[in-house]
Amino acid sequence: MLNTDTMGDTPHLLLVDDERSIREPLAQFLTRQGFRVTQAGDAEGARARMTAYAIDLVILDIMMPGEDGLSLTRHIRESGEIPVILLTARTEETDRIVGLEMGADDYVVKPFSPRELAARVKVILRRAAAGGVRQHAPESGSFAFAGWVLKSGERTLVDRDGVSVPLSTGEYNLLHALVTRPRQVLTRDQLLDLTQGREAAAFDRAIDNQVSRLRRKIEADPKAPDLIKTVWGGGYTLAAEVTRL
Amino acid sequence: MALLIAVALFLAQAINFGLLLQERRQARLDQATGPAVTRIVDADERIAAGKKIGGGGSWSRTRVLAASPIPPGAERLDDIERALRVALTDAGVKANRIETQVLPISPNDPRLRYVSQSRIERLLRAGAELVVAVERPDGQWIVLNIGWTRNDSTILWRLFAQTAILYGVVLVPLLWAGRRISRPLRRLATAARDFHPSTATEPIVESGPQDVRDVIVAFNALRLRVTAMLEEKDRMLGAIGHDLRTPLAALRVRIESVEDDTDRAKMADTIAEMNRTLDDILSLARLGRPSEPPTEVDLAALVDAVVEDFRDLGHSVGFEEADRLQVRLRPSPMRRALRNLIENALKYGKSAEVTLTATPREVVIAVCDRGPGIPADRLGDVFEAFTRLETSRNKETGGIGLGLALARAIVREAGGDIALENRDGGGLIARITLARH
Repeated sequence: MLNTDTMGDTPHLLLVDDERSIREPLAQFLTRQGFRVTQAGDAEGARARMTAYAIDLVILDIMMPGEDGLSLTRHIRESGEIPVILLTARTEETDRIVGLEMGADDYVVKPFSPRELAARVKVILRRAAAGGVRQHAPESGSFAFAGWVLKSGERTLVDRDGVSVPLSTGEYNLLHALVTRPRQVLTRDQLLDLTQGREAAAFDRAIDNQVSRLRRKIEADPKAPDLIKTVWGGGYTLAAEVTRL
Repeated sequence: MALLIAVALFLAQAINFGLLLQERRQARLDQATGPAVTRIVDADERIAAGKKIGGGGSWSRTRVLAASPIPPGAERLDDIERALRVALTDAGVKANRIETQVLPISPNDPRLRYVSQSRIERLLRAGAELVVAVERPDGQWIVLNIGWTRNDSTILWRLFAQTAILYGVVLVPLLWAGRRISRPLRRLATAARDFHPSTATEPIVESGPQDVRDVIVAFNALRLRVTAMLEEKDRMLGAIGHDLRTPLAALRVRIESVEDDTDRAKMADTIAEMNRTLDDILSLARLGRPSEPPTEVDLAALVDAVVEDFRDLGHSVGFEEADRLQVRLRPSPMRRALRNLIENALKYGKSAEVTLTATPREVVIAVCDRGPGIPADRLGDVFEAFTRLETSRNKETGGIGLGLALARAIVREAGGDIALENRDGGGLIARITLARH
């Protein structure tokens, strides 16, 4: 049961993109994947359909003529908890970061694999159903913990001397999951779920391996870790105060 | 420059002085011989007429003596004697011997007692008197004294003094004017050398003479035009990127309806490759205007992170975790450069080996593969983005696309360089060399 408002248990997606050449085949694909899909060609159409239907998730193109996707994201966030996945055409990070800051849950960069998009839609819907409220903390900004600063925009870790320590995608995703949930015990499955999806990386990577790599980078003594602690029979937890900068 | 002008000025002064000296000598000669001749002729006529010689002050008195008062071996002035002889002959006075002597005048000279004050001063300033003795055919000597300007030892001092004045008057303003021109020109040269479209700098202040100002105005305008053109290029490339990515995205969605899994995977790969090329084009074009500032980065962690990303995707990339190595650079482009080199190694060599070595002066990241390598004569070509595209049909010999060109542009922008080298035992080594500050 994902959402009791919808007819049956088929999640209802709203797909907003001004490009028909993308929107229509994507809608067909998502329908085949078992979603109910409503389409809109602009922000105005999207608003109208959101009042007409109980939408479970919005897939939204950032670059649209007229009101753009970022502004619509803000509107959606102000009016409720409907998850948003952004479609971005740009390689630049700025749009994405702004989008995530405004409360979008995830993004994919064009050209994207429709299967991957479908997978992310399922992950976000599952999260929304599990928590009832949106679990996803805004991903942008910087997080300070134990003398380190994790900068999400640049995917870098900065030490107390201001030296950047670049992280691999897997390490970054794992650390990000930890710093956004300090002092929570996260099981390997939860971590896999939280770290997958950003890019195809880390799908099949053992979480344990990533943790030991991260420990080598941030722990004073990787053999006796103070920051990323192993919870017996559970998983991992970040034992540090985290301040959002 | 200033030295050259100084030497030239001194030379001109010296020539002028030489000429002046010559002229002064002539004038002194005329000045000395003229009155002397008149007086000798006069005395000669008086003697011929049996009149008494004399008159005038005791100073300039013409005397008639039986013998020359000039001791033999005294310093004589040959040119004066010659001139006197010529003048006397012209005047019809017969002279046997003519003798001259220069004597110093002392202020205590008793003869000066009857001379006016102004004349004394003039005589003392001249510093000497010239004694002229002319022997008449009858053996009598007509003797007289005239003022004589002492030798020109002061003239050298005057040469130096005048040159110094000239330096003060000419050289100083000249140097000042030179500086006024050269300073703004030097600033202009520095600004032109350091010109980087990504860094917004203030226009150069217009200063100096009008011509220089005009050049500065033109340069400032040129800089604005270049920056505007580059911005336009960025906008164009952004538009191109968007316009190409949209149909590419549409295609990517549509291929999901292809039933055959192998076919679909191949299509997806092709689209991914097109997209990467598009990324490379956009990055290469945008490289001159970086958006992030250089920061202190642990290069060992950077290399490790890039390698780890490849391993996560199931590629075989070797790298020994290394100690922290602090370098100042822009991390994102450098990750991309390294990624491109490793991608290239994997494409041709199936696996890659990355090493990081540091000396006090530089850092070397080497990416090695066991692929076919590149013929020695083409090692340099593979970096050229566009020759690459032309010859990329010949994929076996190194059709590499934009990746290497982009990597090199990134590394050069960071003040380093990339070199390619065939490896002993087959394969290629790509070496990124970065200077440590």
